[in-house]
Amino acid sequence: MNDESIDVAEGPSKKGSVMVIGGGISGIQSSLDLADSGFKVYLVDSGTSIGGTMTQLDKTFPTNDCAMCILAPKLVYTGRHPNIQLMTASEVKKLEGEPGDFTVTVIKKARSVDVELCTGCGDCVVHCPVRYVPQLPEEKDVRKEMREDDIRKVEEVLSRHSSDSSSLVPVLEDLNEEFNHLPEMVLRCVSQLMEVPLSQVYNVATFFTAFTLTPRGKHTIKVCLGTACHVRGAPRVLDEVKLQLGIEPGETTEDGMFTLETVNCLGTCALGPVVVLDEEYHMVTPGKFGDLIENFKTGVAEPIPKPEGAIE
Amino acid sequence: MSPLKKIGSVKELEKLIGRLAEERKARKGRTIVVPGGTCGNARGAEIILQAVKDGVEKAGLKDVEIRATGCIGYCSQEPMLLILPERTLYPNLDPKRVEDIIERTVKRGEVIEELLWKDGGSGKPISILEEIPYYSKQERIITGNTENVDPGSIEDYLSIGGYGAFLNALKMTPEEVIEEVKKAGLRGRGGAGFSTGTKWGFARSAGGDTKYIICNGDEGDPGAFMDRSLLEGNPHSVLEGVLIGAHAIGANKGYLYIRKEYPLAVRTVRRALEQMDEMGLIGRNILGSGMDFDLEIYEGAGAFVCGEETALMASIEGRAGEPRPRPPYPAQSGLWGKPTNINNVKSWANVTLIMNRGADWYSSVGTENSTGTMLFSLVGKCVNSGLVEVPMGITLREMIFDIGGGIADGNEFKAVQTGGPSGGCIPESLLDLKIDYDSLTKAGAMMGSGGMIVMDNRTCMVDVARYFVKFLMDESCGKCTPCREGLVQMNIILGRVTRGEARDGDLGLLEELAGVMKDTSLCALGQTAPNPILTTLRYFREEFEAHIRDKRCPAHVCKALTSYSIDVEKCIRCTLCATKCPTGAISGSSKNPHVIDQEACVKCGMCHDVCKFDAVEVE
Repeated sequence: MNDESIDVAEGPSKKGSVMVIGGGISGIQSSLDLADSGFKVYLVDSGTSIGGTMTQLDKTFPTNDCAMCILAPKLVYTGRHPNIQLMTASEVKKLEGEPGDFTVTVIKKARSVDVELCTGCGDCVVHCPVRYVPQLPEEKDVRKEMREDDIRKVEEVLSRHSSDSSSLVPVLEDLNEEFNHLPEMVLRCVSQLMEVPLSQVYNVATFFTAFTLTPRGKHTIKVCLGTACHVRGAPRVLDEVKLQLGIEPGETTEDGMFTLETVNCLGTCALGPVVVLDEEYHMVTPGKFGDLIENFKTGVAEPIPKPEGAIE
Repeated sequence: MSPLKKIGSVKELEKLIGRLAEERKARKGRTIVVPGGTCGNARGAEIILQAVKDGVEKAGLKDVEIRATGCIGYCSQEPMLLILPERTLYPNLDPKRVEDIIERTVKRGEVIEELLWKDGGSGKPISILEEIPYYSKQERIITGNTENVDPGSIEDYLSIGGYGAFLNALKMTPEEVIEEVKKAGLRGRGGAGFSTGTKWGFARSAGGDTKYIICNGDEGDPGAFMDRSLLEGNPHSVLEGVLIGAHAIGANKGYLYIRKEYPLAVRTVRRALEQMDEMGLIGRNILGSGMDFDLEIYEGAGAFVCGEETALMASIEGRAGEPRPRPPYPAQSGLWGKPTNINNVKSWANVTLIMNRGADWYSSVGTENSTGTMLFSLVGKCVNSGLVEVPMGITLREMIFDIGGGIADGNEFKAVQTGGPSGGCIPESLLDLKIDYDSLTKAGAMMGSGGMIVMDNRTCMVDVARYFVKFLMDESCGKCTPCREGLVQMNIILGRVTRGEARDGDLGLLEELAGVMKDTSLCALGQTAPNPILTTLRYFREEFEAHIRDKRCPAHVCKALTSYSIDVEKCIRCTLCATKCPTGAISGSSKNPHVIDQEACVKCGMCHDVCKFDAVEVE
């Protein structure tokens, strides 16, 4: 690959040069492609080395490939490529001209190391008496922005569980119940108090169907869409519920009364189609939801429909 | 109930079991069993229970025991009462008749004929539970004790010899226990059918001091509720199995992973655990044997993929439930990198049975390669539905027509779906197939955890295939590309088929996609996801072709290919359909013929259902 590009570079066909700003994986790949097709490339990065975020990753999504195994050869090619001039520890200060004719002013920061001679052994780092301490921006205590009784609720729930990350799911389950959904502040608070990265808290909170990030209605209507319910008409029941309430699954009615949810199986398949209103199970054949919701709204205490064919 | 006493030794427990069994034997009066469970309660079992309590008090009966139990399986006939020791069953009961039953059956021993179960054809009443066809072909070795124990009472369980199996196991070395389970030929009841004894052997021989045990009750398969019934009905039979496993493997910590969607099961098991703790059956130095074992409940937060063992472990560790590639298998590196053994709820209940009655007896039930019984939830369009326990090797025909009572509403049988979203649809031509791990796999379906959904000629197989694809599309965790993207593409193609817009070669494309997903997906969810499509394509290809070629849905399910119209000749202008139509698409009055406005019609089928004169036609 490199041998070919040297040939191209020596030939007269390509003219002009390109500056790539940013030496992350996309900058590196662009530089390599441009350089291979014969352009002179200036690769500018403000850091002391190229590689960007990908050097910090273990795996790449979604194929789980090893990040370093992809990146490392590209770093080497970039460093060795005769058509690429690396400008690390440099920042673009000014850009003048027009497409095809740019003049760029680059500020090169002092490095105090001769890059040509350096072998990257790392001895200077070990022997330098001044330690480099990473200065992370100080994390704000989210509790300052939360209402006091909300904080108390979170702390109360946390006290019921062990403090390690294994109790994250049960903690969120309890909080979801307590707050009726999982507000952003609560997730941040959990992340800080449990010392679990916010990304992990968010990942868990959005992965499981038991959690919801938006406020829910006063009552929950769950329509079971299990296979048995499906073949016995659950899709028709769901259509009816949607039509009656005017909302889609996952939404809440405007008056905040009902949240509609679908559930993949409640394990009461012999009763199907099943609709659960809050905690009450109902057998709702198509056409019967209207009566159920009407009874519920008017407070008529008739929670359990009589089984069909019951002996009078 | 008197507070439970801590039991310090094996001898003490043996004595207690003996005493409680004696007491049970010595009891003279009748027992009124009120089967409940989530499904029973939904159909009014709690009202019946209250009526029974009131009635017994009113009648002043002293020696009658009222026992609220879990579901005894015949869900479609709930609520019901079972009177012991005669085993008289009163199904589909009106609470008003409870008093009568107490007066005549409980007090005087009469059978009230008009309340009994009656044969649909001959109308012949049958009083004894075991003689009702739904039960007569079953072999209830696991579920049979449901009516004998109050799930909330460990003493009830002890009085039928409960925890005797654990005592038997304690008298054996762990290796002997594993050998016994191997000899019994028990295969994992979660669906894959791997030998339980062998799996235990791996976990036993793995190094390290800390080992975990997990009871997988994340029964996410739609159409399956066997685990729920077991946990609600006889939780100690499962917990005892877990204890035996802990002894065999040398585990010191166990988790019971139960779905949040099963609140009653969670409550029942929580109570059972408290009782075990009070009696010293979990904790430190159990029964003075030196065995330490802790057990706790973990509520699954609603993700189908968490039934997969590596995803389940990830969620216990507090991460999103995404599977990881195996090996390493959990037996080597499971929960927090420690050796872990996971078995299904039903497998654990089977373990108790094996240690109670011996491997030789156990392996005599079922077939050579699939021993024991299997629990199924028989649901869908059959007459009888509920929890069914049959010996392995019974045919699908016996299952659906003898136990299930055939197809409801006079419709015809079309297919039976087994194995949940990983399984497949089996057509009528294969009804004489024996139910065991190997025959079902050969037919392209799989045993799965035991959901069995019966479908009739009003079920559209394309719609069913699309249903499963949609289900899995929602539940795919998105980690690997074949599963995440493959399911979306399948859904798009099947959507085209159901709308009559399919292109040439779409079926071939589906098959090609299915092959790639099977070969390249990361976990079992993706690898088995194409099964429902492949089996429907294999057995019901003409139905797919009818959608594509003739733009017709033979079962009148796919909305885009269905239209409703009113036959003016048959319509008597009763206006019933017009009042029931949710969108007001039907015009007409008691004088004018009714007409459906095709633009406004949402094809809900309501008019067709309510018309008593067959005047609404479906095309």
